[in-house]
Amino acid sequence: MELLFNHAGDFGQGVLVTLGLVVYGFLGSIILGTILAALKTSPIRVARAVSSCYILVFRNIPLPVQMVLFVFGLPQLDIQFSLYSSAAIALVLYTAPFVAETIRSGLNTVDRGELEASMALGFAPMTSMRLLVLPQALATVVRPLGNVYITMVKNTSVAALVGVAELTFLTDKLAVDEASPFLIFAGSAICYLVLGLAVGRLGAALDRKVAFSR
Amino acid sequence: MNNHSLFDPAGPRTRRRHLILEIVTGAALAGLALLVLATLTKKGVFSADAWAPFAQPGLWKLLGQGLLHNIAAAAVGMVLSLAVGCLLAFGLVSTRTFLRRLSRVYTDVFSSIPLLLLLYFTSLVLPNYGLRLGDFWFLVIALTLYSGAVIGDLIRSGIVALPPGQSEAALALGFSQVGTLVRVLLPQALRSMSPALVSQLIILFKGTALAYVLGGYTELLRSATVIGQYFTQSLLQAQFVAAVGFLIVNVLLGVLADSLERRQRRLETQAPSPAGSDSLVLQTA
Repeated sequence: MELLFNHAGDFGQGVLVTLGLVVYGFLGSIILGTILAALKTSPIRVARAVSSCYILVFRNIPLPVQMVLFVFGLPQLDIQFSLYSSAAIALVLYTAPFVAETIRSGLNTVDRGELEASMALGFAPMTSMRLLVLPQALATVVRPLGNVYITMVKNTSVAALVGVAELTFLTDKLAVDEASPFLIFAGSAICYLVLGLAVGRLGAALDRKVAFSR
Repeated sequence: MNNHSLFDPAGPRTRRRHLILEIVTGAALAGLALLVLATLTKKGVFSADAWAPFAQPGLWKLLGQGLLHNIAAAAVGMVLSLAVGCLLAFGLVSTRTFLRRLSRVYTDVFSSIPLLLLLYFTSLVLPNYGLRLGDFWFLVIALTLYSGAVIGDLIRSGIVALPPGQSEAALALGFSQVGTLVRVLLPQALRSMSPALVSQLIILFKGTALAYVLGGYTELLRSATVIGQYFTQSLLQAQFVAAVGFLIVNVLLGVLADSLERRQRRLETQAPSPAGSDSLVLQTA
């Protein structure tokens, strides 16, 4: 136990870096995912094709491969970011397709009759979209999106592969140095459990909050 | 997934507008693609020099072997985690409180720990306890620890979704508790959960790329890196080929999962099963 307290500073630093990746990953993937979902439901065929291609490619190439390609491959083309931002960008690129598919499935749950009713009542298309479709679609999507982001919390660990000093990376370093790696891993596992639990709780709270519009 | 549109079919004027938009976006996209291609050519991505190493059959053999290693690890990991998952599912639906709680704690803990952390754990801690296995087994054990927990929960939800009449009838016919589980409930649960299990196999397969970090197991990403060390000018090309390899296998597995799910839904519509079986299977990373 004492060992863990001695390294509390290291763990804290690792958790902060991981949290940073989670926040950037969340913001980036929710924006990119929404754009992809909008493109995928658009009446313009080219837009649908672009979105489908993106989803197919970036969902099916494993995150470690994307990360390594981004960090070690792209500098050959003189495209170079800092380690941390490349990891964040790869995380966003990989998570966005899952977000897009989730949001799209939410749009599909809204009954078409409701839209017809709103048109019969004289709502303009955009107004009924804003007041009727989107609130319902987003409300059904909160819970599955929460699951996507719990997975993303775990996926931030892949950044350790390219040397970003986040929780998993620091854990590995400490475990190599210390005589009792078991405890170090236990501490790190607890950190991830708490992070995942926190994201899950946030999602559940948000879900309760939007439950009325479902 | 039902693909009904939220909007009425477009009229002639809207169709014309869409056509114009399609042409404009298509042209913009083609322009962008040309620009990217021109830049890549200028950087020498398509130069014969960079692709020259790919003329050697030995290089393709290395890459193919890498992919086979990925597939082997995923397959062995899947078999082991199915076994662990079945045992966990029995624990999760057990009537003994202690056993149930224990299984619940295991599934909750191991399904929320990153795979890479487990991989570091197996490769650093197991040798301390005298288990000097190869990197392959470290990877497979890490995959099993994680995936067993997820699959355990999947099978549990498959068992719980079955109508209670199934287990009641089996018990009335004189099956033991274990017999009911193994011979009546488990086969049905496995069948109804088969699309989700294939999705989990995709996740496992993606996870095998993490073995890159161990270095002692030449999976596809590692072999691409090795090629990049010998032929520095073709690192990007080798990584690209590796990415395409992963892409093809995953797309094939995805098609399998989709067709299984369609078959499942067809079976359900033929013989209506009780509500509660969630047809929306989303693949999460």
